[in-house]
Amino acid sequence: MKKKTRKSTFFIVVAFIVLFTVSTVTGLDYLYGDNTTTVIKGVNDIRLGIDIKGGVDVTFAPADDYDATDEQLDAAASKIKTRLAALGINDNEIYSDNKSDRIIVRFPWQAGESEYDAEEAVKELGEMAELTFRKGTDSETDDDGNTVPTGEIVLTGDDVDKAGYTQQPDSNGNLEWVVTLKLTNGEGGGTEKFAAATAELNGTSTPISIWMDNTMISYPTVNSVITTGEAVITGNFTEESSKALADQINSGALPFKMVTTSFKTISSTMGEGSLDAILLAAYIAFALIAVYMVVLYRLPGFVAVIALIGQIAGTLAAITGWFGFMPGSTLTIPGIAGIILSIGMGVDANIITGERIKEEIRSGKSLDSAIRIAYKRAFSAILDGNITNVIIAIILMGAFGVPSSFFSQILNKTVFFMFGATTEGVVYSFGFTLLVGVVCNFIFGVFAAQLMVKSLSRFKAFQNRKLYGGDTK
Amino acid sequence: MSSKKKTTHEEPAKITGKVYDFCAKKKLIVIVAVCVVLALIVGIVIRGVNLAIEFEGGTMLTYSYVGDLDTNAVGNEAENIVGVPVSVRTGESLDSDGYQITLSFTSEEGLNADRQFELTEALTTAFPDNQLELFDSNDVSPASGREFLLKCLLAMIVAAVLIIIYIAIRFSKIGGWSAGICSIFALCHDLVAALAASILFGFEFNANIVAVILTILGYSINNTIVIYDRIRENRTLFPKASLNELINMGCTQSLKRSIRTSITTIGTMIIVSIVVLASGYTSLLSFSVPLIFGLISGTYSSLFVAPVTWSWWKGNEKKKSKN
Repeated sequence: MKKKTRKSTFFIVVAFIVLFTVSTVTGLDYLYGDNTTTVIKGVNDIRLGIDIKGGVDVTFAPADDYDATDEQLDAAASKIKTRLAALGINDNEIYSDNKSDRIIVRFPWQAGESEYDAEEAVKELGEMAELTFRKGTDSETDDDGNTVPTGEIVLTGDDVDKAGYTQQPDSNGNLEWVVTLKLTNGEGGGTEKFAAATAELNGTSTPISIWMDNTMISYPTVNSVITTGEAVITGNFTEESSKALADQINSGALPFKMVTTSFKTISSTMGEGSLDAILLAAYIAFALIAVYMVVLYRLPGFVAVIALIGQIAGTLAAITGWFGFMPGSTLTIPGIAGIILSIGMGVDANIITGERIKEEIRSGKSLDSAIRIAYKRAFSAILDGNITNVIIAIILMGAFGVPSSFFSQILNKTVFFMFGATTEGVVYSFGFTLLVGVVCNFIFGVFAAQLMVKSLSRFKAFQNRKLYGGDTK
Repeated sequence: MSSKKKTTHEEPAKITGKVYDFCAKKKLIVIVAVCVVLALIVGIVIRGVNLAIEFEGGTMLTYSYVGDLDTNAVGNEAENIVGVPVSVRTGESLDSDGYQITLSFTSEEGLNADRQFELTEALTTAFPDNQLELFDSNDVSPASGREFLLKCLLAMIVAAVLIIIYIAIRFSKIGGWSAGICSIFALCHDLVAALAASILFGFEFNANIVAVILTILGYSINNTIVIYDRIRENRTLFPKASLNELINMGCTQSLKRSIRTSITTIGTMIIVSIVVLASGYTSLLSFSVPLIFGLISGTYSSLFVAPVTWSWWKGNEKKKSKN
């Protein structure tokens, strides 16, 4: 019970905190050949939320109150993912919310692509993009005034094995961009259907019209029976538009058209400037708090500063994904507010114990027992205060987390059953940093700080009671 | 954690010196606290909360442009396309020498991406010399805005109930339920103070305010619990003392800590406000300024409102049981 903390403990704890902090800040990667392999992500690799970095946050729902099944929604989400990849947007988050039939898509601006046309990209994402080959060019106008094709369907996008784009000479010998299609083989495949249709229409004046949703791209007449399973779509393409169409065909059609119910784009300049401002304020505030703690509490204050550095590093490490067992998170502005709150709780924990040590020392106890009692007594206040924050953090993570996350699975089926999963990832981020910060507060602000103070108090040089806020004695 | 007595040597220091009488003007403090909360709520209702579009629903599009732009013409052009009144605001751009024009409007079904694309196309065609470019856009349907607001409210209510239960269990030795409810009353006091400050300064109710509310939620409860903890500890040390005496001792012992912690948190927010003002990114002011008021209120309410209201409650309970 009376086992004393060793003198060396202080150095072990400090070495651990320093190593941990340095590896969190700089990360760890090595160069092998031409490839940099990142073992640990550093602070520079933190995924910044779109409120800081700028980007797009959009929620899609099926158009015209279409009631989608869960399978359809998941299929649509994976199609949207493919389309994003085709647009070169690989850094994205997509969640499908089966309860309220929504798909949430978020992606930050790609590096150096401030000119990116987000409106056009989002418009394309929600398109059904159903490719149809039809007999004739018949169409009608529906109730909403849209032109809808009515000709008998020959082929759909499902009959296409692979689409590509290339240049070939047109009838005048000029090169033009076209989309090439390789149709599926086998019984009932695209090749067979196309051969049958071209055989039927060969030599007649009835063309085959090619539609993307409700837009007719071209309507060639049939001059020969095509049995090779290869088809070409012409129609005044540029390189970009032929690639876009081929990409759309390759990623497949959505089971329904999706429209945006919320759509947010944030420019990058706004956020990055405010991030710099927050960081500057954070450096100033931390420096002042460090001085303040050392002046007020001397040795325990100095230890508190080391512990706070550990706590901040711990929170950042959780965000970068330093800990292998849990994935990293995106840092948003409310996330920074969560860090500020948890640091405030950390400072508070150290002030509570600092005050306790002073009180106990001044009541005339020996240094050893004063420190021991102070930590023991301060713990219940720190525990209860921090646990209430854990409760708040978990509720927020559950209410505003992505549908597949742990707390969200539990809470959204019970407490928040009448709501769909929400699009506000920013509130989740607050809960995440708060929860992690509070856990780090226990590890560093309570446990590590206690070890350090107890260990230091074993040194002769640090046994002066004044160093702990005692009176002149 | 165990509070069993071992030897007298192990006992924590008992209070020495002057004990401030926090409970002297019990009735007055309770009445003032209730009046302040009610007055601020009435003020908030009268002034009205200016809900940002993420809660109210609607559309806000900001374009950057160069040269002279006829804002009325832009408004008319936009109204032709969206079919509802459009309000137009201009301002200087943060990132370049250019200007910004902001269109905002509320329509039943919002502006989906297809129609937004159409609008941007029409505007850039109509005003080709101004190099209109989309800077920010935000479109939220009224239904999902309301849902978010309701979900925030429910999340806070659930958190409050769980906190009351937690306090009731952990502080059962000193009458936990009433202590828990009083801590939530003190929390409301702080939330209302922060909200009133944000309205007074003309900030709209946006995601920043949600972050403020969440921060105060954690901070205020923590403040109150640290003081309750002292009262709980004093109950073991002084089994014969009255509740008023316990509260007075607990608050006196915690006074220094409360002030010192508040200096760091409020100081940090003041630094944030100054840096943000100096650098021009004033959008963060709607986070830091209301939080300062919430924190000041939190320091006061944890020392006075929560314990004193609680003591008054307990006093009334006793009177009733005597009758």
